[in-house]
Amino acid sequence: MRNFFSSPTAIMGTALLSIVLFAAIFGPMIAPYDPQAFDPLNRLQGPSLTHLFGTDQFGRDLLSRILTGAPSTVAFGVGATLLGVGIGSIIGVVAGVSGGWVDSTIMRILDGLLAVPDLLFTLLIVTILGGGMEHAMLAVSIAFAPGMARIARSAVLSVRTRDYVRAAVARGESGVYIVTCEVLPNALSPIVVEATIRVSFAIMIGATLGFLGLGAQPPSTEWGLMVAEARQFMFRNPWCVAIPGISIAIAALGFNLFGDALRDALDPKRSHG
Amino acid sequence: MTLQTMTQNVIATAEKPALSILDYSLSYKTANGLISALKNIDLTIPKGKTVGLVGESGSGKSSMAWSVMRYLPPNAVETGGAIRLAGEELLDQTPFQMADIRGRRMSMVFQDPSTSLNPTIRLGEQIAEVLMRHRGLTKAQAWAEAEVALARTGITRPKEMLQRFPHEASGGEKQRVVIATAFACEPELIIFDEPTTALDILTARQILDLFNQLRDETNVSALYISHDLGLVSRVVDEVSVLHKGVIVERGLVGEVFAKPSAPYTKQLIGAVPNPDRWIGVDAPAEPKTLIKLDGIGVHYGAPSKIQKMFWPEDAEKVGFWGAKDVNFEVRKGELLGVVGESGSGKSTIAKVLAGLQDFQGNLEIEGKTIGSRKVIDRAYRRRVQIVFQHPDASLNPRQKIGRIIARPLKLYGVVPREKIKARIAELLEMVRLPEEYADRYPHQLSGGEKQRVAIARAFAAEPELVICDEVTAALDVSVQAAVAELLVKLQKDTGAACVFITHDLNLIRQLAHRIAVMHHGKLVDFFDRPDARSEDRDPYTKALLDAVPVHTPVEAFEIA
Repeated sequence: MRNFFSSPTAIMGTALLSIVLFAAIFGPMIAPYDPQAFDPLNRLQGPSLTHLFGTDQFGRDLLSRILTGAPSTVAFGVGATLLGVGIGSIIGVVAGVSGGWVDSTIMRILDGLLAVPDLLFTLLIVTILGGGMEHAMLAVSIAFAPGMARIARSAVLSVRTRDYVRAAVARGESGVYIVTCEVLPNALSPIVVEATIRVSFAIMIGATLGFLGLGAQPPSTEWGLMVAEARQFMFRNPWCVAIPGISIAIAALGFNLFGDALRDALDPKRSHG
Repeated sequence: MTLQTMTQNVIATAEKPALSILDYSLSYKTANGLISALKNIDLTIPKGKTVGLVGESGSGKSSMAWSVMRYLPPNAVETGGAIRLAGEELLDQTPFQMADIRGRRMSMVFQDPSTSLNPTIRLGEQIAEVLMRHRGLTKAQAWAEAEVALARTGITRPKEMLQRFPHEASGGEKQRVVIATAFACEPELIIFDEPTTALDILTARQILDLFNQLRDETNVSALYISHDLGLVSRVVDEVSVLHKGVIVERGLVGEVFAKPSAPYTKQLIGAVPNPDRWIGVDAPAEPKTLIKLDGIGVHYGAPSKIQKMFWPEDAEKVGFWGAKDVNFEVRKGELLGVVGESGSGKSTIAKVLAGLQDFQGNLEIEGKTIGSRKVIDRAYRRRVQIVFQHPDASLNPRQKIGRIIARPLKLYGVVPREKIKARIAELLEMVRLPEEYADRYPHQLSGGEKQRVAIARAFAAEPELVICDEVTAALDVSVQAAVAELLVKLQKDTGAACVFITHDLNLIRQLAHRIAVMHHGKLVDFFDRPDARSEDRDPYTKALLDAVPVHTPVEAFEIA
């Protein structure tokens, strides 16, 4: 971990991530305007000194909307991932530890679910549950669970046959001790890394759902929804689509690069040479 | 060009050594700055001679091989010197020129034949490829030539072997193919990087004989890299001893063996196990049985209940028997050696004893009969502890040494909770490690130190039987001796019995009271140590004993 910042990926990822996290924490406080305040006289303006990022179709200040939208976007990505990783890891660890027919049954079911693309799967769940932020979040996390379960299971399997685990079995340790003290601490790093990378996918799927009208509802300042709403005014003022679009890209890229760098730093085989 | 100058040229090349390395230094760029791997190496291999490069792991011997082959990792930094192949400077060659030299003028034989052959290509094609690339033969010619090359390595049906894939050949056969490939283009220099380490003793012996025979036939020059002094003395003319990237001693192999001058060489020679020097504990006065193995069998890939129901006649044929009908007993306080090649079932027996493997038959411990793995309880597990081969893998990397050793103390309640800390210090002292090591993580320790921790953990349970599964195999010679001595000392102090599993016959004859020999999952021989050379030994035992490198009689400078 000491030389984490020696790779350009890590520096870039951390920089982007700090911007996004800063916006998520302090955004609503430093927003210069009320994000919902209409200003019909100044509709669809480009960037200027009064409105740094310009205004949208109702004359609302884009910078303020982006800043106030940041917390919900990041919360959505992190929340959906945490939930998905939680569900998936539990399933994967159970499958990996028990082995045998339990493992086979669980994994065959998950394989079936994995055959459905993430977005399609999410759409299916949202259609059943109904739209809205919370439902979208739940849908994304459920869609993530099978993939995470696979990763958790393979991490557990690779650790399970190590000699220190066999030594614990030979000592007569209980199953709970073996899983919590010997297996899990060593299987955790691939799970953490994968989770960080997945936050970016969650943000993008969240934005997509918002764009399709199945996630956040107006007048929310969720970034995906902003793109969708501004779409019909795209030719009169491209900024009102580009700004939230770029924001989504920065957030996703930040998490993705950070996750990549984390994987390189945590994997001893990669950090040499 | 006149005839005279031509003759002069011929003479000049003839006199030039096959390989000369002059004042060569190499470092690796790492996160902690430059780390020096080789320092001012001077090494000359005259035409037709074999030079041995001996050193322990980390001494830089493999780096040397890769520098000669010009195949260094990107973080390698060469800090001066010269490497000349028949007078030609290799450091100046472009990668493209080197590709032409590699395989044609020099080639390499690797340690593990199972990973140095491509598993998806037929063996014939792998030899022919080299011939087509470097000698410009057509495919048909190359295959014919490959057959000849393979026949030279003593493979009985070379034509059939060419058609096989690597997984269809045994380890020894695969190594013969690799050697045939190396010799195929009649190179000037061949580098052997521990070519027998991954093979079992009997096969290793055959490969060494083959190497000597081919060398005499082709008059090739060779660099033979190994960690095993005894083995090197059989094949090389001259030897250089490498220690931490510096050549500490060089000379004719007989002289280096007879009169080592560098302290490190003396230490290395002294550490080679000498079967005639007994270091074990005294045999228990009256033999009392501790554990009896009664018809132990392990069936890997055994058919399931459903398979048995429908195809009962196949039940014996499906899968394979890791061990079959093994009977012997372990006596209290003794050290029982179990020897055999890889795949002979010796580790399977260790796993059965440690309760890690389902088995058939019965284990009897002091009158109590255990008929299956599931009924093995914690009390049994406390009495029988196991130490694994690889110390890197047997310690949890996320736990401190203190916690690792404390675990059996807590689990079995060996000492009261408040005394655990003191006991850890005692145990560390018993395995000759400083007390402060309790606060370290396994990766901060060397291989030998880690193995000591694993041994301390096993003895922490105050067991009656400790199973040592190849505990010295992953360690360097000098460390091996220390670990073996430590084990004997602990046995003396605690009176525990020990089942010592190994493939090293020299070592086991230093330690064991009785020796069991396993072959293909069966117990083929069982004898008291002094009877090792007696006439009624099983032919397999005799073959094994004959194959071990003979320990050079060097009593004169045994370390005092």
